[in-house]
Amino acid sequence: MSGREALAGAASDMPRGPDAPGAAGMSLSCAEVSFSYEEARAPIPALCDVSFELRAAGSLALMGASGSGKSTLLQVIRGLDAPESGAVLLDGAGPADAGYAALRREVGLVFQAPELQLFAATARDDVAFGPRRLGWPEAQVTAAVDTALDVVGLPPEHFAERHPYALSGGEQRRLALAGVLSMRPRLLLLDEPFVSLDPGTRRRLVGILARLKDAGVTLLLATHDVDLAWALCDELLVLNEGRVAAAGPWDFSPAGGRLLAANRLREPFFVALWQRLGRDPQRAPRSAAEAAEALL
Amino acid sequence: MKATIAQYYAGDSLLHRLDPRAKFVAVSALAVALFVRDSFAGLAVYAAAAALAYALSGVPPAWFWRAFRPLLWLVALTFVAQVVFAPGEPFFSFGFIHLSWRGLELATYLSLRLVVLVLIGSVLTLTTPSMALTDGLAWLGRPLRRLRVPTDELALMATIALRFIPTLFVELDTIMRAQRARGADFRRGGLRERVRSLTPVLVPLFVLSFRRADELALAMEARCYRPGAVRTRLHPLRARWADAALLAVTAAVIAAGLLV
Repeated sequence: MSGREALAGAASDMPRGPDAPGAAGMSLSCAEVSFSYEEARAPIPALCDVSFELRAAGSLALMGASGSGKSTLLQVIRGLDAPESGAVLLDGAGPADAGYAALRREVGLVFQAPELQLFAATARDDVAFGPRRLGWPEAQVTAAVDTALDVVGLPPEHFAERHPYALSGGEQRRLALAGVLSMRPRLLLLDEPFVSLDPGTRRRLVGILARLKDAGVTLLLATHDVDLAWALCDELLVLNEGRVAAAGPWDFSPAGGRLLAANRLREPFFVALWQRLGRDPQRAPRSAAEAAEALL
Repeated sequence: MKATIAQYYAGDSLLHRLDPRAKFVAVSALAVALFVRDSFAGLAVYAAAAALAYALSGVPPAWFWRAFRPLLWLVALTFVAQVVFAPGEPFFSFGFIHLSWRGLELATYLSLRLVVLVLIGSVLTLTTPSMALTDGLAWLGRPLRRLRVPTDELALMATIALRFIPTLFVELDTIMRAQRARGADFRRGGLRERVRSLTPVLVPLFVLSFRRADELALAMEARCYRPGAVRTRLHPLRARWADAALLAVTAAVIAAGLLV
């Protein structure tokens, strides 16, 4: 299967489980979600009344200073931690609704440095771990693994039988991503996916995520990198000490700029460039190609 | 996952400020005395001393209880074993179980002694950071260096091991979460299945630990660590009058326990 065919496959069946009906992309809505970490002396609040909406097939950059609650929010959305109050709605369904557990299984979470979780003797077995846990028939597991490996640019004919620890750092990260994609998530949560990658690998990963987005997978991307967030995400959610500081479309008005600065962020490069050029920053290009097209 | 036995409680009580060497010597002497004297009266003296030390430590009861609770099983086991296997004229027999008053008395005594022992020991670990404790032990072990025992290296190994236990727990938690997000279930199935389900957790944890050990060794070399070299300390241990006072009070308590 060539990369292009794999992606066509990704567009049609990537985000769906073997029997799951419905369209690609899951909508997400958090309603006043609060969460604290239990500590011996006193609970440490990590999220306070976090509310936001992310439409199906949308993309949202989750930003904020270190310790602002980004990772915690992703874990709560995936259901690894239960919110103390409030609810996480998936496709409009809450925890009390039938089928919520199944919806939750269609939420993929890529941890920080996910290559640290590789464990199997071959790349194929590692990527197959999730689908096998889901109880899919072996033929479907194989198909899902092949597609996922293709999507992340590790063609199965070359990589499937390799030992995960024999791969390079960038390949390991992409393999770990494949381990989540093989479960065909309709909502993909990523926690700092670009950290400690070389620029080439980073660009590759951006390409992979952009194509998943085009295929209709809903993306929620926690990152410190405003340029990559701007390149990939239509909307922005800024957390500050566990509270929502801003949610919605990117805002580069003076007030929006102050809000970014207050959260130790800055405008993306192309936005700053457009501001310098006296152009409308809201319509700044998302990539070098778009910038060249607009300028030439 | 955090229930390490009698974990250090950061504080600034009188006991926190004492020299770890003095505390270690005092606790060891009390523990020995506890086993030398076989009487409820002696036990009462040591229990009172332990309770007083505990009150001075400023450790909240909840913190202490959390650490102590897992040991209750050991205490219960000691009691039952003594009751069942102790000598004496039985007043009740059922199968191989013979209950005697002597047995009950012995069981009560031994379990209470265990409780007091744990109480005394945990006052030490609750008020002394593990680093200070290993530093103190290294100092106390110095005479062994004449016998070519690498006491400083052993102390450093202990310090590193203790230092990385919480780190390992955090990493274990992260890896378990990541595999749960991929559908792993560590609570379902029989024993065989549960042990098998740990593979995706243990393999990465081992790989990570070895990598970390390599990096730590390199970092230590980069900072000029040489085994066997004489090292100076940022915070040298300094004994003060309070430490001498602790030893004097301990001696008095031991004497009182032996004489009552």
